[in-house]
Amino acid sequence: MKSEILYPGAFPMVRIELAEGEKIKAESGAMVACSPTIDIESKMEGGFLGALSRKFLTGEKFFFQTLRASRGAGEVLLASTVPGEVVILELDGVNEYMVQKDGFLAGADGVTIDSQMQSMTRGLLGGEGFFLLKMSGKGMLVLNSFGAIHKIELKPGQEYIVDNSHLVAWSSTTSYNIEKATSGWVASFTSGEGFVCRFRGPGLVFIQSRNPGGFGAWVRQFIPVSE
Amino acid sequence: MTIPPNALCFGDEFPASGIPCLVHVEGHGLTITFPSDHDEGESRSESVSFSTVTVSAGGLDHDQLVLTWTGSTGPRTLYLKNPAVIRAFRQAAPEHLSRPLEQAAQQVRQVRQRHRTVWTVVGATLVALVLGLWFGSDVLVELAVDRIPVEWEQKLGESAYREFLAGQDVTKDGPAVAAVKEMTQRLAGQVPNSPYRFEVTVVKSDVVNAFALPGGYVVVFTGLMKKADSPEEVAGVLAHELNHVLQRHGLERIIKQLGFVAVVSIVLGNPPGLGGVMKQLGIDLMTMKFGRAQETEADVTGLQLLYRAKINPEGMITFFQRLAEKDEGRVEWLSTHPMSSARADHLKAQLAAMPKPKAEPFTFEWATVRAGLGVPSAAIP
Ligand SMILES: [Zn+2]
Repeated sequence: MKSEILYPGAFPMVRIELAEGEKIKAESGAMVACSPTIDIESKMEGGFLGALSRKFLTGEKFFFQTLRASRGAGEVLLASTVPGEVVILELDGVNEYMVQKDGFLAGADGVTIDSQMQSMTRGLLGGEGFFLLKMSGKGMLVLNSFGAIHKIELKPGQEYIVDNSHLVAWSSTTSYNIEKATSGWVASFTSGEGFVCRFRGPGLVFIQSRNPGGFGAWVRQFIPVSE
Repeated sequence: MTIPPNALCFGDEFPASGIPCLVHVEGHGLTITFPSDHDEGESRSESVSFSTVTVSAGGLDHDQLVLTWTGSTGPRTLYLKNPAVIRAFRQAAPEHLSRPLEQAAQQVRQVRQRHRTVWTVVGATLVALVLGLWFGSDVLVELAVDRIPVEWEQKLGESAYREFLAGQDVTKDGPAVAAVKEMTQRLAGQVPNSPYRFEVTVVKSDVVNAFALPGGYVVVFTGLMKKADSPEEVAGVLAHELNHVLQRHGLERIIKQLGFVAVVSIVLGNPPGLGGVMKQLGIDLMTMKFGRAQETEADVTGLQLLYRAKINPEGMITFFQRLAEKDEGRVEWLSTHPMSSARADHLKAQLAAMPKPKAEPFTFEWATVRAGLGVPSAAIP
């Protein structure tokens, strides 16, 4: 399996070359184009309940697609719905990443995707829902963001504070606490903002340079109210 | 290296994501083997004695065993997750590590316990809320309503208001509009510090109706004004409707009808979806009926509001009675406001208990308003 990011920047596309018999998981709707040798199967990762809970609690799409080079070698082109950068990580069997619901684009077949419940306060206050995707196993993991992806490297014990709406993924060796950035919980209720995560290393934290919720609110003001 | 790595090692010269490594537990301590960068290269090993290691719990869920020590190349941190390695470490670890190990294990148990407790409490609260809503516990509904900011209510009401008016023949100005505006201003003036700014629209229609949407959006039909013998009668209906807004009756009904879905969507942090959920469930603000207790509340508070605004409250009672008696035309207001003699009697009793009202007249002539609506002057009693 070989992967390459085409047109790096705001409108990237990922090309993944598959040998015969190889397969990858991709977010449904991520596939742009593929060789005629590729078969697309919709598979419910984590079983029906897993898929259902993901759907209900993270708003994630019900299915991941499996793209399999069943009739010979070929390639697939993947892209995300929103403009934003793509980053390819390599899982080696010991490192694990927690990924925000919209952060996953594709993963090698050896990558396991679990919905993981977060603690109550994190779920309630974080505005990310109660479930995150936990990526473990071995192989390539492709993440996408809204805006540019920025990698924060934390040494053991080093801390960093991130607005939670800008989070994409973080290593499971980090720990974090949700903290209130402003007073008035009702305001954060409606806007989903006002909370920050205080991360503590070691590990990596990937953030996106744009906030989808904030962008949505910005766009909304230009949409005329129907009369 | 043929055996897959089982731990992550962090150090000054390593990348921040850590380096995967293979940990072996031996009698004296640990041997950590780092894979080579390329397939042909030699792998590298480090040995650590138990005596230099400190132990804690770490990671996202505090479920990883974290070992730290200072080696020849600087500080090292090792994250262990593999149960077999952790077990081997606990067995081999000397006396001085057993207490911190026990503390770390304790910490893991505490985190798990706390998660369980919090989820149980929240689950129980949710169930209680749902049951409470199901059985119509007004206290819980009021609690939920109290949490909803007025701005949401206004957004909800305004969108329904604009949608409704789009299909109507709106009377923009003229004596009827001026009269309704004056009445509303006099009534609203008696509610100091109100978060609501009332907006009134007169709709040209023979339907006998008036309603107020959550957030303070009031619609009066000309049909209702034509039926009224005096401005005090229209003011009575307005006072009643304004109090549905002030007491947030609309929200109470919505929360009651949405029940579980509303609670879940609010708890899960998706309140902007409330309007969408209402649409999906076919909850229509226009045809929403209030409960009997809410009607009585709006009647009584409406009566008091009229009194404070120095508008003769008798008009409210006579109009209610007349609307109920005469079975002519489409008195739509009655379909959402079932009139009963008990209701009028209750109002009469309330009024009798109050000191004599000091009424002040309106600045407009009711005859002019009615003439503007096209009612023949002979019809005025
Ligand atoms: Zn009413």
